[in-house]
Amino acid sequence: MTEHVLQMDDVTKTFGSGRTEVRALKKTSLDVNRGEVIAIIGPSGSGKSTLLTIAGGLQGPTGGEVRIAGERITELGEKDRSKVRLEHVGFILQSSNLVPFLTVSDQLKLLDKVKKGNMKKDERDGLLEELGITKLAKKYPNDLSGGERQRVAIAKALYSNPSLLLADEPTASLDSDRAFEVMKLLKSAAVKKNAATIVVTHDTRLTDYVDKVYKMVDGVLHLEADKGGAEPLEEGRTDFLEKGGNEDGI
Amino acid sequence: MFLAWREIRQNKLRFALVTAVLLLVSYLVFFLSGLASGLAGLNREAVDKWQADGIYLTDESDKSLTQSMMEADLADEVEADEAAVLAQTNLIADNGDVKSGVALFGIRPDEFIMPEPTEGNGFSEEFEVIASDSLKEEGFSIGDELDLSGSEETLTITGFTDEARFNAAPVLYMNLDDFEKVRPGAAALAQQDEIAGQEEQSGMVNAIVVRGAQPGDVPEDLEYMESETFIENLPGYTEQNLTLTFMIYFLFAISAAVVAIFLYVLTVQKISMFGVMKAQGISSAYLSRSVIAQTFILAVIGVLIGFGLTVLTGQFLPAAVPVSFDYGMMAIYGAVLIVVAILGALVSVWTIVKIDPLEAISG
Repeated sequence: MTEHVLQMDDVTKTFGSGRTEVRALKKTSLDVNRGEVIAIIGPSGSGKSTLLTIAGGLQGPTGGEVRIAGERITELGEKDRSKVRLEHVGFILQSSNLVPFLTVSDQLKLLDKVKKGNMKKDERDGLLEELGITKLAKKYPNDLSGGERQRVAIAKALYSNPSLLLADEPTASLDSDRAFEVMKLLKSAAVKKNAATIVVTHDTRLTDYVDKVYKMVDGVLHLEADKGGAEPLEEGRTDFLEKGGNEDGI
Repeated sequence: MFLAWREIRQNKLRFALVTAVLLLVSYLVFFLSGLASGLAGLNREAVDKWQADGIYLTDESDKSLTQSMMEADLADEVEADEAAVLAQTNLIADNGDVKSGVALFGIRPDEFIMPEPTEGNGFSEEFEVIASDSLKEEGFSIGDELDLSGSEETLTITGFTDEARFNAAPVLYMNLDDFEKVRPGAAALAQQDEIAGQEEQSGMVNAIVVRGAQPGDVPEDLEYMESETFIENLPGYTEQNLTLTFMIYFLFAISAAVVAIFLYVLTVQKISMFGVMKAQGISSAYLSRSVIAQTFILAVIGVLIGFGLTVLTGQFLPAAVPVSFDYGMMAIYGAVLIVVAILGALVSVWTIVKIDPLEAISG
């Protein structure tokens, strides 16, 4: 049984052809393990978002191979990739990925409609409490602040018990305190839920909370720092995450 | 349904607008269908009441009742379970106060097209008639003496019967024997016969109406047709029906287009939201079903309210407006409206299927 949730081997991505050819991603290999949190930093246009969308199965690479939870998604059609995303991947996006006409609790209920194996009720309540959004359950996204929305987005991403959590600038719209808090939550959730987490960000302050830091420059990925353990978790803050345990079965 | 219903609840105004359009279209469709069946009834009511299978006219008449002339004796030659002779002419009846264009039917009281009076009595004396009850609303009543255009005789109304309009004119039923004397030009004909030295003829009629016809052996110079064919050849009947039906079909196309445009605009507004949902792995099929469900909800609500309004309006219409609601037909039209609305929603389904989640994520 492999511990790698995400395996990318010699992945390349090229846009256009001939003179207008842009090599967004040069031969890149990246493995992320369960419970591991990595950050990819780099200037905009460096290819880090491209890497993230390929890792999440939103687009296919030009060359190389990508496996999510052991499945070779590079060989799948959009319909099957959509299924893999639903089963294994949780996205947290820069602008909040909430449905405007659903209350916070309905955002989660929607996932129940399309997928089985989401969090159970007590687990969900624990998650909402941990994220400090229990009281927001009946509110609509428009009535929430940016920080609240992002926390709801995290709750939504975690609710489906993903084995791979992909966050694209999750703290972009937040002030420093909120940003640190969100990163801390992401980290603790990833560890306790045993999910592999990739955070794409340009905010180097956030790298305190991750295991490995990669830097992307002109389509090439370098390992910047490998901290092994990173920040220790505060005890007691993530009790909710232990109840469900690892249910993914990979 | 989960997404569909919640979105409708959160965006009441925009969905109320779509529903309002569907409501108005369905109201118009229902009303036109009422008008179509009302006008059709105006033309064919009397023929339908006979419950006849078919009718014989002369083959040179080209299916026109007024142009068909035959001897009443021919009724014995047609092969049918029951046969009834019918003489018809159009004239103006005047009771002293009101004048009305009527269709005068000469029949034999012992044959099956003889109507049951719903009020008053049948004809027994000379020149008595049973009149269409639609004449009552025009100001005629039992006992009225009617002066006729083109004849010196007067008729007396002894009773009324329902469903007795033919080609938009109220019908007067009278005995065929008397009809001979009333028919315009009757005097001249009698004179001619006298000059020719002929005995009084058995009587001329315009048509023979039959039940249980075996039209295998049609008498010479006659043509058999089914009642429906006969009705379709009434002057103006088919043209009027086609016009209204065409309008109704056009309204179907309009409502499909309006729903398509409206939902498409709503869908385009939500492209990034759909993209994010697709990125999360929610399938196009689920999102499409949601749009279809939404359209279905809106269309059903619109059509039901339209139906209610139509029926309500029907209660307040003056009798002069020839509207009669055929609820079976309205149910079919309502169902068609819902189906075409859903067809309109397919444009949005196509848009959703084509959304690339990648664009939503990186945009």
